[in-house]
Amino acid sequence: MSEESNARSGHRNRAGAGAQEQAVHIGKSKFVGFKYFLWILPFLILVFLFSYFPLHGWIYSFYDYRPPRSLSQCEFVGLQWFKMLISNPTQVSQLLQVLKNTFAMSLLGIATSILPLFFAVFLNEIKCRKFKSFVQTFTTLPNFISWVLVFSVAFALFSANGMVNTFLQQIGFIDSPIRFLDSDSHTYLKMLLWNMWKSLGWGSIIYLASIAGIDQELYEAASIDGAGRFQKMFYITIPELLPTFFVMLMMAVSNFLNNGMDQYFVFQNSFNKEHIQVLDLYVYNIGMTGSSYSLATAISMLKSIVSIALLSLCNVVSKVTRGETIV
Amino acid sequence: MKKKIMSLLLCGAMVATMFAGCGSSAESSQSESTGESASAGESDYSKELTLDVYDDFANYNGEQTGWFAKIIKDKFNIKLNIIAPNVAGGGDTLYQTRTAAGDLGDLILVGTSNGRLTDLVESGLVLELSDYMKDKDVTKNYSGAIEAANKGLEGTYAMPYSVSTDPATVSGEGTEPTFGPYVRWDYYKEMGYPEVKDLNGLLDMLEEMQALARKKEGTNDIYAFSFFKDWDGNMMNNAKQPTCMYGYDELGFVLSKYDGSEDIDILADNSPYLEVLKIYYEANKRGLVDPDSTTQNYDTMSSKYSQGKILFCPWPWASKSLFNTQENTSAGKGYQMIPISNMKIFSYGATPEGNTTQAICIGSKAEDPQRIADFIDWLYSPEGVECNEQGNGAQGPKGLSWDLDDDGKPYITEFGKKALPSNDTEVPEEWGGGSWKDGVSALNFKCVSLEDPDPNAGGAKYDYTTWESYLNAAATPLDEDWSAQMGGAKTTMEYLKKNDMLGIAPGTTYSTPVEDSNISTIRGQVKATIVDNSWQMIFAESDEQFESIKASMIETAKGLGYDDCLKVDFQNAKDQNAARAEAAKEYSK
Repeated sequence: MSEESNARSGHRNRAGAGAQEQAVHIGKSKFVGFKYFLWILPFLILVFLFSYFPLHGWIYSFYDYRPPRSLSQCEFVGLQWFKMLISNPTQVSQLLQVLKNTFAMSLLGIATSILPLFFAVFLNEIKCRKFKSFVQTFTTLPNFISWVLVFSVAFALFSANGMVNTFLQQIGFIDSPIRFLDSDSHTYLKMLLWNMWKSLGWGSIIYLASIAGIDQELYEAASIDGAGRFQKMFYITIPELLPTFFVMLMMAVSNFLNNGMDQYFVFQNSFNKEHIQVLDLYVYNIGMTGSSYSLATAISMLKSIVSIALLSLCNVVSKVTRGETIV
Repeated sequence: MKKKIMSLLLCGAMVATMFAGCGSSAESSQSESTGESASAGESDYSKELTLDVYDDFANYNGEQTGWFAKIIKDKFNIKLNIIAPNVAGGGDTLYQTRTAAGDLGDLILVGTSNGRLTDLVESGLVLELSDYMKDKDVTKNYSGAIEAANKGLEGTYAMPYSVSTDPATVSGEGTEPTFGPYVRWDYYKEMGYPEVKDLNGLLDMLEEMQALARKKEGTNDIYAFSFFKDWDGNMMNNAKQPTCMYGYDELGFVLSKYDGSEDIDILADNSPYLEVLKIYYEANKRGLVDPDSTTQNYDTMSSKYSQGKILFCPWPWASKSLFNTQENTSAGKGYQMIPISNMKIFSYGATPEGNTTQAICIGSKAEDPQRIADFIDWLYSPEGVECNEQGNGAQGPKGLSWDLDDDGKPYITEFGKKALPSNDTEVPEEWGGGSWKDGVSALNFKCVSLEDPDPNAGGAKYDYTTWESYLNAAATPLDEDWSAQMGGAKTTMEYLKKNDMLGIAPGTTYSTPVEDSNISTIRGQVKATIVDNSWQMIFAESDEQFESIKASMIETAKGLGYDDCLKVDFQNAKDQNAARAEAAKEYSK
């Protein structure tokens, strides 16, 4: 009996010890979970601070906000600014033009995003180490120059009495200066070229890194099979780089509407404004230059709506083609 | 381990920099509260004070240097850090971001139109001045003008602009008008003083002049016209100027005639503004427009005038004041006004109660407001006017650029002859050194009209070009030749008055009221449309293109709500005309 009870109590004891152990374990895992939570907390705070907190500024679009006055001194006007946006056909057509510019330049950017890949592939084929690193540094550097400085370079080169015009005039090629900067011809293309000049080298870095990661055995096997240089490039290097390319492409698509404004801001003038105004610049011009913060806020909210629409579209496309959603 | 410490340190540094912004703002709010608690009364000048001067009218950004800086440093131990929206560009951006941040500046020189002053007062950005200005000379001398400047406000917040003892119907300008057709007189002489009948005639004349000048100087960078974009507002600034030669001045999108006889919107079929655009387009087609125009700013353009490379100028102060140095005029070179047969130049009448469209205020967060008030008081004193308004045409500091002779009459010193109006002359070390031109007050604010008598100069005007001694001594070959051609007139104003070519708009205390923000919003967009298209029209490649840009400009502007803005502008013009008529009646007694 006693043995039995002993055994039982022992059993019980063991069970108790087990529960205790489990409790300790749960406590520990809770603690670990909390510890992990602490690890991500700073980033949550950052995301909140920089992505969600600014959203409270949307409130300005419902007020008649005029800067020296505080918001509480301003009149609440409800949807007045949104109505103004839609009800005026000229405003709508301007907005459409701006969206067209934004989409066109983003699309051109995406269409040319394959170039850094080719650049990296070709650069990789250069055997002379010194030359290769020279080219790489030289093409990467522009990425670190701010657009303001890029514009001053552009101005020095292409303004009416800039280097190019002076040179062409002196050799007697032209009589009057060519208006490179202050004309509306090929605005998209010019902007694309400036952007490529600035970002090509930088964009190729990630591909150069992935090239370094390609299994050398593949090349050796290809050599044995008698593949030439170009065949190796097209059948090994590029296919190996494509996954990276698609990741980059997706990131580019998600930034579709955020195609920056500093570039367009420094290059804009009375002549090219019709085609250079992208959404961000338009918001700036209306809000800061035209001093209508409330309307500008309303337009910038529109941007978020378009972004969400694009994202959902991508999601649907992804679901149909790949069978899984992104979000 | 080392790596870990290093990365921790780096993280720490990053976080620290992130929050650095918050820290400094907390600090500044602390100093603000101490600033406010400083009570009015006598100020102690022992501590150097740097004032942030927000100045709507300044064309220079940065610290005031040179002789003017030395004078105010010696007197008040202050330095001026000028913040100039004109230089920064981007329209109202600077004003709005600074006001939104709650601190416009310590000393504020601001345009009051569109209810800005009321806004500043109601949002608590400017200081009530009565305590600080009590018993000051400015309060005693200009109480009427101060009252007018603060009309509709409870208390005294703003000090007036361009107060005058002249009646409203007399031109408030000195020997030169604000606007007028100025050309290189030496070339004009060489061409045999051709008669110019209208703007088209001017164009033909300038085409010939450009050819002549290029041949003579052997260089191709001489142009008849040069434009810049910095001052574009409701319309393209450069294209508005010739309309002022026909008696118009802008009020929103309306050109209002000096005598109230005509208010015309700038996009109307018979608008003088569109006419000027057409003429400029024609000029560009004939190769008379400087190709730098589209990209240059005021500074670049004015340096071309200093070199005499642009033949025509709509303003005396951008051409004559810069190029007609003693050296140039004695060689017979210089800008002078030429008569266009049908012109009637717009002239701002004197403003006995001050021009209320501009004002000086003290920022509510200013440190040591008493000292700033003392400084403002000095700006309205004879000495302050002489020095601060030198850039606008006053004589400068006594003992340096001018002095009194034995009879108590003022004369320009040898130094003054070299330095005035704004030349690159070396200033003696005891006056602060540096270049005279760079030392000129950057405030660009006329507290008192230059046509007022200066008690320090024996009652002669602040405008030294009216002094007897100056007129006698300044008769250079250029002036003599001009005078001989103009029927013996000694000054431009004299000629214009004699030939009834001056349209004086009586000075009033009118400034445009606050407008509905719906209208402001529309106006902001319409403005941009008009300015951008105006530039494109001038540089259009063909007549068809010119017309099509014009048509699309009018269509877009109207589509955006141009007509709604016009209603407001026409009403404002009507009110302004009424105020002018009243002022004229008042002072005709």
